[in-house]
Amino acid sequence: MDLKRDAQTFLSVIESNKGIIYKVANSYCRDEENRKDLIQEIIVQLWLSFDRYDETYKLSTWMYRIALNVSISFYRKENRRGEINHPLPDAIIYLQDDPVEPDNDVERLHRFIKELKEIDRAVIILYLEENSQQEIADILGLTITNVSTKVSRIKQQLKQKFSN
Amino acid sequence: MLNRKNAEDITKIKAREFLISMTPLKLFTIVVGILWVIFVDILILNVFASASPYFLISAGLHVLLTKVAIVIYYNQSVLIRRVDISDPIIATQEKIARLKSSTLWVARLLFLQLPLWTTFYLNDALLKSGNVVFYAIQAITTISFTFLAIWLFLNIKYENKEKKWFRLIFTGKEWSPLIKSMELLNQLNDYTATDTKEKTR
Repeated sequence: MDLKRDAQTFLSVIESNKGIIYKVANSYCRDEENRKDLIQEIIVQLWLSFDRYDETYKLSTWMYRIALNVSISFYRKENRRGEINHPLPDAIIYLQDDPVEPDNDVERLHRFIKELKEIDRAVIILYLEENSQQEIADILGLTITNVSTKVSRIKQQLKQKFSN
Repeated sequence: MLNRKNAEDITKIKAREFLISMTPLKLFTIVVGILWVIFVDILILNVFASASPYFLISAGLHVLLTKVAIVIYYNQSVLIRRVDISDPIIATQEKIARLKSSTLWVARLLFLQLPLWTTFYLNDALLKSGNVVFYAIQAITTISFTFLAIWLFLNIKYENKEKKWFRLIFTGKEWSPLIKSMELLNQLNDYTATDTKEKTR
């Protein structure tokens, strides 16, 4: 499949995969205003590397890589407000997100995930989004065995938190 | 809904110009550094024939070390911008974190200049007219600054990041990305170590 690299195609790509951007940004940024900046930064970086997207990987792999790389780097910085160089209109930033059900266990799980270290958090986000082990390995750049080991370890950590 | 207007907005975003995309603090640091180096260079050239050798050597070494620090700082900023963020997470984050950690070199070089601040004002007349107290204070100050500078140069490194004195020096918002990068490198080591073991099996 030859993907057109124009702005319209790009916008339809992010519209149909907006969940990836939202879930990753929500997991790495608690503050709403900073989250808006993070989402904006992810979209800008996706657009800037859209030309270089390698179609041998799935679109979701490419999007996860950029969203996670931007989020982890963003997370390292503090006081991001005012640092955005290319402000985007709200219509692009505020892609309608899927509403989260107010479930106590789900909320606790999200809270525990946010307490994990950055890379562990990336692993568990990818796992919970039901990506295959191969895709998780492609996104992270690890072997499948390593992914499987890390997923088990993090699941164990989360189980412990739930039982406390 | 995303529409034609949004498409126009997004196409306006071209590849980022490096200087435009730099944070104001980084840009300010580099500009101030360059201006300072130019000022000291001009000063050395203007007083070269008449200044004391203590001043010329101190100022010359100071300006040389500052230039190296500026080049490292600038180069690190450029290389971070060149990292391809569509590459896999572990490799990309390791590259970025290692580059960020190289800021330590800038700090090491700046601390290495400490003793030069205790010698630039010396001259033959001052040394000849000085009494024992002057010599004692001068010697203690220069020796202790030299010792401290060398000790910091040798000890400001990743391995010492958990030490109290290290945390004390690198405290504050401007150093937090550096500290977080070093913490991230710890996490990444855990991942890459397991991966390397598996690949060598």
